[in-house]
Amino acid sequence: MNMHSRSRRAVGIALATALALTVSGCGREGDAAGGGGGGSRAEGAASPGITDTTVRLGITTPLSGATAGPGTCTVAGVTAYFGAKNAEGGVQFGDGKKRTVEIEALDDTYDPQQAKANYDQLKDDVFAMTAGLGTPTNRAWRDAAIADEVPQALIMTGDPLFSDPEESPWQLGFVPVYQNEGQAFGELLAASGAPHKVAILSQNDDYGAGYVEGFKSAVEGASNIEIVEELTYEATDTSVDAQLTQLAATGADVMFNAMSLVPLAVSSLQKAQQLNWKPSWFLPSNTSSPGGVLQPGGGAAFPGVYSVAFSKAPAGPAAGDPDVVEYLAALKQYGNYPDPPAFPHCQWSWMVGATLEQAFGEMTEPTRDAFMTALRGISGFEAPLMLPGTSVDATQAGQPAVSSVVVQKFNGKGYDTVEAFE
Amino acid sequence: MARAVDVPAPSLRQRPWVRRAAPLLLVVLLAVLPLVLPESTNETLARIGVFAVAVLGLNVVMGYTGQVSLGQIFFLGLGAYITGYGVQQDWNVVLVFLLACLGAALAGLVVALAAARLGGLAIAMVTIALPIVGVPLAKRLSDYTGGSQGLSARFADAPEATGLYDDQWQLYVVLVIGGIVFLLTRSLVRGKFGRAFAIVKGNEAVAASMGISPYRYKVLAFTIASLIGGVSGFLYMFVIQYTSPETMSFGHSIELVAAMVIGGAGSIVGSLLGGAYYVLVPELTNQVDSSLTALLQGVVLLAVLFVLPGGLASLVRRLGRGRRRLRAEPGPGASPTTPLSTAGSATATEEPGTERRGHA
Repeated sequence: MNMHSRSRRAVGIALATALALTVSGCGREGDAAGGGGGGSRAEGAASPGITDTTVRLGITTPLSGATAGPGTCTVAGVTAYFGAKNAEGGVQFGDGKKRTVEIEALDDTYDPQQAKANYDQLKDDVFAMTAGLGTPTNRAWRDAAIADEVPQALIMTGDPLFSDPEESPWQLGFVPVYQNEGQAFGELLAASGAPHKVAILSQNDDYGAGYVEGFKSAVEGASNIEIVEELTYEATDTSVDAQLTQLAATGADVMFNAMSLVPLAVSSLQKAQQLNWKPSWFLPSNTSSPGGVLQPGGGAAFPGVYSVAFSKAPAGPAAGDPDVVEYLAALKQYGNYPDPPAFPHCQWSWMVGATLEQAFGEMTEPTRDAFMTALRGISGFEAPLMLPGTSVDATQAGQPAVSSVVVQKFNGKGYDTVEAFE
Repeated sequence: MARAVDVPAPSLRQRPWVRRAAPLLLVVLLAVLPLVLPESTNETLARIGVFAVAVLGLNVVMGYTGQVSLGQIFFLGLGAYITGYGVQQDWNVVLVFLLACLGAALAGLVVALAAARLGGLAIAMVTIALPIVGVPLAKRLSDYTGGSQGLSARFADAPEATGLYDDQWQLYVVLVIGGIVFLLTRSLVRGKFGRAFAIVKGNEAVAASMGISPYRYKVLAFTIASLIGGVSGFLYMFVIQYTSPETMSFGHSIELVAAMVIGGAGSIVGSLLGGAYYVLVPELTNQVDSSLTALLQGVVLLAVLFVLPGGLASLVRRLGRGRRRLRAEPGPGASPTTPLSTAGSATATEEPGTERRGHA
């Protein structure tokens, strides 16, 4: 018992010591590490990550794991873009200085926890975070970025939350939100004038719901469009044969298939052919790859497979385009990506680079505040690799930087932009 | 802190003043460090704390009781979701904490009641199902979980009165909660229950012959592991402030098991080291080459297991033993049950707890 009381006393001493040290050690005010942000900095003083000659950008994105393919592209494109610019001497900023752009990319393996960790690691070194792929991984540090006043600009997620300036003052999504894509196809269909019966199969989450919402808003009030059946599947399902059988029985002539999983998209196309049901088919931009989905799925058997896009595909009809040639060369030389890109994210990331340069050119002070203002002022900017009819417009509240997409139709090898349905 | 000093008291170890000074020093150090360390280090330490607690829970069921559990991340996720939901509903934080613990413990109990009847690998199979079921469940119950977009809950801002920065406040909370969990678990595995766990791990028939129901102790270990998982889920939400179905993906469950083995199975210090491994290795590999992280992590894993089959804790133990051999005393890092982690056959010869129990 003696021991017991003595140890009690020891704890008491420990606590007293700790308290004393706490009081004396509370001296981190003014330390660069405190608070993490630049909120209380003097007006006009440079934000972290930017000097008179360099600016540093951070990316957290999946570079390993199941989403590594698109994730690697999100780094490669923007790295290649600024690699080429740096080789020319840097980027001209709105304050008259020329700066080279450094990019620090970290792997988050599509793990929200790791993404937050990467953000914590980068936030004091970089001027802005950009280009990272993934909804949960970007959401994981959205609140922190707002609190720290670190830009989370032009990220690759179709989640509308990032494009709402009220909720997300320091964020801006780059790629069209899911609704934009569904809406573009719905508008085309409604404008065709001919009667259509539509079957809908969508993923039972925000992704699928977003597409369907956009589509429905476009065909609302169009008397020629009738939605005859609407089914969902779970993202973890391995087969949608049952749903397809049910949908085929409706005899619909248009299939709106909001599906984010490549294997399921392939098997859907195959199953429909087995059932001898050949409607016109809509697929989202990320599951409509000619080589990955339509050729194995036999897309040519359908009267038309439609998708939406805003970027030129390097393998498609745009192969000889000077934009594409320059892009592929830079990707190989500066982006550490020697093969022709298999994912559109490489092109999108390249456009992110161009859009960032545009914003840099407009910002009059080397601050994160000025950057966000400049970014939100960009409109009607046709970034390289953009398809005619699409542009970067960051001025619209509630919309991502790119909200305009064009509908394209599969031609057996690649996609052609179409003006009208069939 | 009194508990930490009390519990091992009966065992003859070191000179009393050393034994009292060391925890004292540790407490002072832990109290001061958050104030002087840079923000990013504090954040990293807080994350280590989160996963150290998760690994500790896994250690209770796997390291100490020898039941393979591949579902620990589910309980972390469950705790995080309960916390996130509670915070969004503006419930009292203490209540939320208790709910996160109890919710996870209850889920663990229900699963364990069924799973512990099964032997060996069958338990592992049941626990595999947890994260596999958990992910789609989290996506489907979107009214409570936010679906695949996840849940944000920012409730870890430092109270004004403390005058602390958020990162310091977070680290203190993690240190206090994590510290309490570690101390409680330490007394648990060193006491009567720990000895029972060790016998169940060593030989269930022997355990039964001694009047220790393997079933009951397996259920107990599993429930405690789930409870600790729930605590780590609360801390996860406190530090990361966001959870989504990806949080409890099966891959992370395996990473937790790897972290436990690398830290040292059946070791308290090992849990801490496992947590550090879980957090630091991705950061380290990111620094080396962010496009090769998976490969580098595999290399580190293999290297550690080849060089230190007993995990990082065995290194600590070996160093400790080397130093203390001069004083002819056993190492501090080793709890009485740890020798079992390397070989079940060593039970009778090496394990003092078992021996005592056996002769009782």
